[in-house]
Amino acid sequence: MKVSQELVKGIYSSNPVFRLMLGLCPTLAVTSSVNNAIGMGGAATFVLLSSNLVVSLIRKVTPAKIRIPVYITVIATFVTIVDLIMAGFFPDLHKSLGIFIPLIVVNCIILGRAEAFASKNNTFYSLVDGLGMGIGFTLALVSIATFREILGNGTWLGIPVFGSAFKPALLMILNPGAFFTIGLIIAFLNWLDTKTASPS
Amino acid sequence: MKDILRFGFTLLLVAVIAAGSLSWVNSITKPKILEIQANNLQQGLSKVLPGAKDGVIVSVPYASNPGVIQYYRGYAQKDSTDLVGYACLVDSKGYSSTIRTLVGMDTTGTILAIEILFQQETPGLGTKCQEIRTGETSPWFQHQFIGKAAAEVALDKDNGTIVSITGATITSRAITTAIADSARTLFSVINQ
Repeated sequence: MKVSQELVKGIYSSNPVFRLMLGLCPTLAVTSSVNNAIGMGGAATFVLLSSNLVVSLIRKVTPAKIRIPVYITVIATFVTIVDLIMAGFFPDLHKSLGIFIPLIVVNCIILGRAEAFASKNNTFYSLVDGLGMGIGFTLALVSIATFREILGNGTWLGIPVFGSAFKPALLMILNPGAFFTIGLIIAFLNWLDTKTASPS
Repeated sequence: MKDILRFGFTLLLVAVIAAGSLSWVNSITKPKILEIQANNLQQGLSKVLPGAKDGVIVSVPYASNPGVIQYYRGYAQKDSTDLVGYACLVDSKGYSSTIRTLVGMDTTGTILAIEILFQQETPGLGTKCQEIRTGETSPWFQHQFIGKAAAEVALDKDNGTIVSITGATITSRAITTAIADSARTLFSVINQ
């Protein structure tokens, strides 16, 4: 198992949104603006690192048959603790990231990586996997959000991109716009794969 | 049978550790969170009743409207003289959360400022009620309430003058009607 391979797989070949199709619900919710996408990506990466760490630490003592309820309890408890600490001691950070925290608990990427990787690998590789998946998730969110914010709001990171004559397509801010964008990006990545994989 | 006992015990252990750590963290953070909320409220009150900044703002037990948490009177002087206006702290049901709004008005019922203290509406839509556009200094949605008669504000969609947020009518309406209803109740009590 190579560290670089485990790290990079989360960014392209096993990108959680575009390849593994995980965490689509929060993806729809936060990609209406690039600012929110970055915030969610950062917060989710932090939770992913911590949950992978804890799950891999307890993997040897968790009976396989009840591992899912145990992991869910651990993850939900941990995220709630992070939320409370942020609300009490870092109120400014909580103001900007607070809305994402409840969304992260139901993010399938967290449980998905706990089950598929952290429960079967040591702590070091679990952290590497978490980091790679987190970065891949953030990149996916930012790329979707770039499309949706520019077309649906005429801005990028809040900065107007077009002149005032531009009429934004509200559809892009709503869920169908997110689905279209995700579908188009997946199609593009699949096309890229055929181009790079052709032997001749 | 042995397995069931083992699984049950493990789950019990996990649950006890989870519940224990959560209640411990909660006991540490709860006072801080309440303190922060109280600070936000004080800052909000100073902002919506600027004339009372050097004076005093007192809460008053007026008959309440459903949703109204508290009414306040603002005085320019610390000895509760020189009434500058009133404020209402009101909760209303938004699209996906309870929105807490603070509205300050002068003695004639004209809005001085509003401040949204809490909301968890849809990101990108309802959350625009607190959005500051580039180049501006305050949220446009809240800014437009200034100078209007509090008891009469209504959305453009409801034949009023408040510009609603595109794609977030429910959020916009919740805030607007909370302000109008609480102001109407306030002035009906005062004018008795």
